[in-house]
Amino acid sequence: MRFETHQLAQHYPLLFEGLRITLTICALSLAFGIVIGLVACFGKLRERGIAYRIAVIYIDFFRTIPEVVLIFWVYSCLPLMLSLRISAEASGVIALTLFASAYLAEIFRAGILAVPRGQIEAALALGVPSLHIWIRVILQPAIRRMMPALVSFLTELIKATSLLSAIGVAEMAYQASVLGSKTFAYVEFLSAIGVLYFIIIFPLSIYARRAERRLVSRTAN
Amino acid sequence: MLGYGGQTESHDRTWGQNALFAAFAIGLAGLLAYQVNWELIGSLDFSVVWEYRLPLLKGLGTTLFLTAIAGVLGIFFGTILAILSQSPFAPLRWAVVAYVEVFRNTPLLVQLIWLHFALPAFTGINTTALESGILAITLQAGAYFTEIVRAGIEAVPKGQWEAAYALGLPDWTRWTRVILPPALRIMIPPLVNLIISFFKASAILSILQVSELMTVTNRISNVTFKPIELFTATAAIYFVLGYIMSQATLRIERVLQRSQR
Repeated sequence: MRFETHQLAQHYPLLFEGLRITLTICALSLAFGIVIGLVACFGKLRERGIAYRIAVIYIDFFRTIPEVVLIFWVYSCLPLMLSLRISAEASGVIALTLFASAYLAEIFRAGILAVPRGQIEAALALGVPSLHIWIRVILQPAIRRMMPALVSFLTELIKATSLLSAIGVAEMAYQASVLGSKTFAYVEFLSAIGVLYFIIIFPLSIYARRAERRLVSRTAN
Repeated sequence: MLGYGGQTESHDRTWGQNALFAAFAIGLAGLLAYQVNWELIGSLDFSVVWEYRLPLLKGLGTTLFLTAIAGVLGIFFGTILAILSQSPFAPLRWAVVAYVEVFRNTPLLVQLIWLHFALPAFTGINTTALESGILAITLQAGAYFTEIVRAGIEAVPKGQWEAAYALGLPDWTRWTRVILPPALRIMIPPLVNLIISFFKASAILSILQVSELMTVTNRISNVTFKPIELFTATAAIYFVLGYIMSQATLRIERVLQRSQR
């Protein structure tokens, strides 16, 4: 078979438009996911009480059900239940926010719990103000510890945006399949987006791996 | 005061934070309750789920079948590739790395559609949706499992490799008796977690209408116009099974940790 590069040359702006939507949806759901994830994380850190229970159920639920199911549920059930009109893009962002917040909550929690308890106790004993403890003794080291997990979750999130093509969000995978069916140049367009996804995701996973290794060697010393 | 651990907090402030959280939750619930179309919620009829229990169960069967395929074939190819990744022949190692990175760093959805539409164009072999689905999930599982097995192998202390060489053990004995058994113990928790994530990922195959649980749900919902009942039921099925599996994993991890001490 022939690889019809002229189809790519002709239609590539649509692929980049798709890429822009992919990245926008990623950024929005990451931002909302961080906020809700933090709330859920602090809920779970309480270790007992009603806030803890709600947070645990929320995190377990959205971590366990498949992203596709969540996307379809938000897209086809939520508007009916709330008697609201929600665009495909908005339902995509809602679904991915729910997904991201549950995973991020666990990442945040692991990061915070990894801060050695003795350091916090030392700061408390020295009478350091509690805001200062939070920022310098807990958050700063915790963020450093959670970076590898955070970045590798980001790669999962980028991959998950491709699922939104199923509800007709015009992101990259959607553009490629529409262009493919229009021009019958499936191979060309699908290979092109495969390469684009790889170019975005691969450096992130390399970074995550390196950061992880650095962290392990630092804690080992 | 610090929100966790409990011991350093004064009782009043804990209570205050709980109250704040509860107020937040109640406010959110109130807002939702105001927006919710209660008439519709009241008219929900979950008997449709029971009515279509047989196709749904069959779909679940396919989902579990796909999970098992991804697990068994993935571990099989993953182990072979991980062993190849230790080969002294560099191009072989590079090939394994290239395969693993390509399949780990692109979305399963893209791999799936690519295999379904592009593979026939290259090879002339037409695959059914189910075959493409099995192929895609196996290839991706193979890549992820390779990484896990490789990490397990590389965690085996160097001295054990050297001892095996020094004793002149043949390759087969070295792998099956010296390297793989201790590696397996490190690998088991991530292996089981990966199988759970392929249980979830099998829902992605619904894009090609592979008749697993999600496809079946979509079809029934298109026929009966009852999306809320069906999607909620399917979400519940996935949650219950996934939750049981992840709790089992936690237990395995704990047992392994205890036996290590």
